[in-house]
Amino acid sequence: MTTRLTPLALSVVTVGAWGLVLGVLSGRAELVVAVLPLLLGLLRIGRGGSSRDWTLTRAISAARVFEGERVTVTVTVSAGRRAPLLELFEPLSPALRLVGGHNRGLFSLTRGQRVEWRYEVECVRRGRVSLGTVHARLWDRAGLQAGETSIPVPWQLRVYPRPLPLRRLPGPRRMQAFVGNYVAPRVGEGLEPGDIRAFVPGDRVRHVNWRASLRFRRLFVTQYHQERNADVVLMLDTLTEAGAPPDTTLDVSIRAAAALATAYLARKDRVGLIEYCGPFRWVRPSSGRAQHERIFEALLRADVMFSWVTQEVGLVPRRILPPQALVIAISPLLDPRFEKALVDLAARGFDLTVLSPSPIPLVGRAIRASASADVACRLWALERRTRADALHRLGITIVDWDPAEPLEAALGGLTRSRRRDVAR
Amino acid sequence: MRRLAAVLALILVSAPLLIAPSTSVLGLGAAALILCALGILVATPVLVGGIVLALGEYALALRLAGGAPRLGGAVLLGVVLALLLETAEFGRRAHHAAIGPGVFLAQIRSWAVHGALTGAGALVASALASGIGASLRLPWAPAVAAAGGAVALVAVALALAAARPPSSD
Repeated sequence: MTTRLTPLALSVVTVGAWGLVLGVLSGRAELVVAVLPLLLGLLRIGRGGSSRDWTLTRAISAARVFEGERVTVTVTVSAGRRAPLLELFEPLSPALRLVGGHNRGLFSLTRGQRVEWRYEVECVRRGRVSLGTVHARLWDRAGLQAGETSIPVPWQLRVYPRPLPLRRLPGPRRMQAFVGNYVAPRVGEGLEPGDIRAFVPGDRVRHVNWRASLRFRRLFVTQYHQERNADVVLMLDTLTEAGAPPDTTLDVSIRAAAALATAYLARKDRVGLIEYCGPFRWVRPSSGRAQHERIFEALLRADVMFSWVTQEVGLVPRRILPPQALVIAISPLLDPRFEKALVDLAARGFDLTVLSPSPIPLVGRAIRASASADVACRLWALERRTRADALHRLGITIVDWDPAEPLEAALGGLTRSRRRDVAR
Repeated sequence: MRRLAAVLALILVSAPLLIAPSTSVLGLGAAALILCALGILVATPVLVGGIVLALGEYALALRLAGGAPRLGGAVLLGVVLALLLETAEFGRRAHHAAIGPGVFLAQIRSWAVHGALTGAGALVASALASGIGASLRLPWAPAVAAAGGAVALVAVALALAAARPPSSD
């Protein structure tokens, strides 16, 4: 523990000196007497103990939370000996916002006393938030002397992206071989009636269509559409971001990816994730709750990372990017490298859809409103539209999403247009 | 705690008005009060500026009033001065902080004990000084007082330097 005199001691000396000077100049003894209590108070310096003899423990109400959820932090201080005035301060990460109590506390502890200190924080941004060091300052009662130390009390809080509510999803054009929730064009076992054909030996009696059989005086059986699942690969652009935290283009992209992954996994689809940050990082497509965990862990660490390396889409293995997969690319379309990757994917015949969270409202919110900013935003919007049109001409479907609007509303138009395409 | 500091500041600047109620003392007192209030809210150096002005106001009031030394009042004013600095500093520390059980009570008890002890000490010291002053008639008394003041300040500075303990733990 580092002990030092506080600025208050200097203030006391200053006032004392001024009183003595005034007393001598004015020739009045009262001024000297008036500063005597101050100067006598300095005798207390060095009397307080300055050794550290207390322990700190920290507990958090939840170690894994979603963005927007609140966590209660409880710090317990146990004193081995008397501490006249102990000040504790716990700096908060920018990903946390104090919503209840204080992250600084003042305690007076007697020997063996245990005190609990609680405060509540709201997790505003995803990530691994480290609640690491508690700064402690042991004051004497007068505040003339203080000992300082830092106590590491490591604790990590995992803040997962908040999934946005989604009910309708873009349907895939091609299905996979496993059982799922999509009605496939192929007939076989299923629930949705598809066609009627003549009975052949081996057909199940319960599939006999009695109405048709009675009408045509021959046995007919009903065939059903197969119900299959699909492979969905979410491709996340982490090359660059715009806007101010906790609402950058990357933050909203990750929330959209979390929502899409949750919704597709709930439909028993196999979902994979490719993070494009120059090189690729990926999560192999799979289904189930474990895959949900894997994708959320990957989204937790997704961040903009500058790299000179630019890998080609062709380098992604087939098991990561299956040819029949529906690829949903989530990108603000700020980096031409990602656009090149999209063109490459479309050229390879992937069922590709681009969800583009618009950076313009996010940047507009982060900067001061002015006429020039307004003009710049309008020009930017025109440029974005031109680039989107260029991609659209190459057969890539682009959904422009204003992050202030619900994701479901943006995906609604896409769902209808894809349904028309599938019908054709 | 900030309210307590504000009350002490008010006592500090209004006491000289009881000694010599004049416009100049009032003006100086108002300026001192404003600085003290700002200092309580913002930072200790501003408060020190206010206290320096308040001491100037006190000196002016004593000069205007003249008469015999009022040592009892001076001791009380000194205790108020000391408590004002400590309460303002503590108020700043306690602002926006979770306060543990018994902190305020222990602090108030400590200030009461400290005020009583330093007040009594100052009274004893002033009584001793008066006695010595009455028995010994020194020539060049102001020069001796100035030298004594300087020696006292140097002694305080040396004591503070000696009291600065090295790092431990």
